[in-house]
Amino acid sequence: MEYRVEQRMDLTQKLEILADAAKYDVACTSSGVERNRSGKGIGNCITPGICHSFSADGRCISLLKILFTNECIFDCRYCINRRSNDVPRASFTPQEVCDLTIGFYRRNYIEGLFLSSGILESPDHTMDLLYQTLYQLRHACHFQGYIHVKAIPGADPELIARTGYLADRMSVNLELPTAEGLKALAPQKQRPKLLAPIHQVKQMRIQNKNELALYRHAPKFVPAGQSTQMIIGATGENDWQILKVAEHMYKKYDLKRVFYSAFLRVNEDSLLPVLPGGPPLLREHRLYQADWLLRYYGFETDELLSEEKPDFNLLLDPKCDWALRHLDRFPVEVMQADYHTLLRVPGIGYRSAGRIVKARRLGTLDYGNLKKMGVVLKRAVYFITCGGKQMYPVKLTEDDILRNILDGKEKLPPGAGKEPAYEQLSLFDDPRFSV
Amino acid sequence: MSSCHYSMIRVFQCEDTLTGILTGVYDAWDSRLGHENVRLQSGDQENLELFCEYEEVEPDLVKAEKVLGTVRTRLGEEACEMIAYASAYPHAGKADAIYRMIVVGLHLPDGRMVSGMLTHPDVRLVFELRRKTWHMAHRYMGFVRFRELKNGVLFSEIEAEADVLALIAPHFADRLMMEDWAIYDRRRRKAAVHPAGKGWVILEDAKEAFSRLEESEEEPYFDRLWKIFHRALGIASRANPGLQMSFLPRKFRPFMNEFADSKTT
Repeated sequence: MEYRVEQRMDLTQKLEILADAAKYDVACTSSGVERNRSGKGIGNCITPGICHSFSADGRCISLLKILFTNECIFDCRYCINRRSNDVPRASFTPQEVCDLTIGFYRRNYIEGLFLSSGILESPDHTMDLLYQTLYQLRHACHFQGYIHVKAIPGADPELIARTGYLADRMSVNLELPTAEGLKALAPQKQRPKLLAPIHQVKQMRIQNKNELALYRHAPKFVPAGQSTQMIIGATGENDWQILKVAEHMYKKYDLKRVFYSAFLRVNEDSLLPVLPGGPPLLREHRLYQADWLLRYYGFETDELLSEEKPDFNLLLDPKCDWALRHLDRFPVEVMQADYHTLLRVPGIGYRSAGRIVKARRLGTLDYGNLKKMGVVLKRAVYFITCGGKQMYPVKLTEDDILRNILDGKEKLPPGAGKEPAYEQLSLFDDPRFSV
Repeated sequence: MSSCHYSMIRVFQCEDTLTGILTGVYDAWDSRLGHENVRLQSGDQENLELFCEYEEVEPDLVKAEKVLGTVRTRLGEEACEMIAYASAYPHAGKADAIYRMIVVGLHLPDGRMVSGMLTHPDVRLVFELRRKTWHMAHRYMGFVRFRELKNGVLFSEIEAEADVLALIAPHFADRLMMEDWAIYDRRRRKAAVHPAGKGWVILEDAKEAFSRLEESEEEPYFDRLWKIFHRALGIASRANPGLQMSFLPRKFRPFMNEFADSKTT
């Protein structure tokens, strides 16, 4: 029998354990804040953010994404770091996190720090450690790069407030879309407790905005806003419920982003589902697409889904799906339609819509121009006319468009959705024209 | 040009830099041959065409400044940026497109509208090249990897298709203000050099200066930490090398230490 003897770990081992433990967190964005050098120290931020590398799963690596500790007192069933799991445990010290961040940042490996944590001893104790780390990084190392930190639910609001003045973005994970799901899989977490820090940060951001209007150099509170994350597919919610929650978070709590994370079965637990096709990556993808429609394209959840049709068609992106169900609004004339109408056309994004509006003031557009401007004609061709003409004659029926529009590139799992019905062509009697 | 007698087209061959191209614009306009009888070309000419006469343009900072000044006041800051970025991208038609764009802009009642005039093929080309250069510069802002040398200098090498050095240097000058750093462009044999606390400069023909470099003692340690971190962050059950490849194509990888050991991950 082998015993694991407690040894002092060096930084290499700690990093391996705590980066591995943090990898399930989705957010790795470094966007939303612009900050130039402060006169001394190191670092700046640019609004679009910068990706520094990409991991083997194709996700962007922008921040040094680590847990402060994985010695967690909670026992959430979906989490690899749950108390009852036998995994190697480690904790950083604030100094170690600072050394790593500065060392990586100087070499341009990263854009900043993403500091999350398991709950060590108590929420207050953990939050205090995070605060100390950030304080040291900002004031001893004069680090001006991006910092994303987790607010620990249940921690003293004063600690969260102080941390918020040091961080660029704060986030609290909702973990599961509904309170019932949370109760089943993470009994130590309660929905109201998770929402409390989100509400606090939102209030303080509004207050801070007023302060900044009066005093330009007032310290900024969480300038890049808040985000959150939900696990998709661990509990039985449908897409409509999930998107409703996301919409609620955007509207009520002024969140910058809601992230969706396809459920990965990392623990053997009878309450966790076994998903035969692996993690529901395509569903996650559709939710992200719909999320974009909510934030940039002026769509509402109830337009995309409803109680009667609660899940997305996995075969089609949500915008195409919506357009096919509203063929009465199409085709739109590119030379005349207003910006918001253009936004709703599949194949036209918000950038190309902007370009179209700008360019048609100075000249007539044709399909060649549209293609060059970034319009995806493969999809848009069924829904637009340009100068009164379709690009080529197409039949505007749901079945025909669907058949032509299915994207061959997207990897669809077998039986992902309803394939369009094929029918035998007939030269003489089209059933639709029966007299 | 009438059909009964043909006229020669004068091709102005300018150096493949912003200064070179803008000098070409000045000279072409100044030649008073008419816009349809002149053409601009940047870089080396390999094939000579019939009915063309060629004229070498000597890059001239004063002429270039004049053109840039006119562009800034008449066509606006946006057009200025478009031209500056587009001139950094390798493309045979860029110099002529820039010339045509300026001509179109100066004939508009409000020259600032030219930057949105994407129905015009030349403006669109400049617009596209600007976008490509910006994307490439933005990628290099993330993908540049510094190594710490014995004397504390942070050193990095790139091999960019577009001439992005002058576009990324301000970013790093701001970010690593208190550091000595240098980025060497292997393809163009020039480097952006930044002494701590001072401004950055471009060093031409810098190959000799960066031939013998020794890394600091701390460097292998951080190199290892980064590789460990990079490997730990991938989720095996979501592995997607195709996606990784599309975001981070092979051409960038030889200069990034996390890809030094293996060819694929």
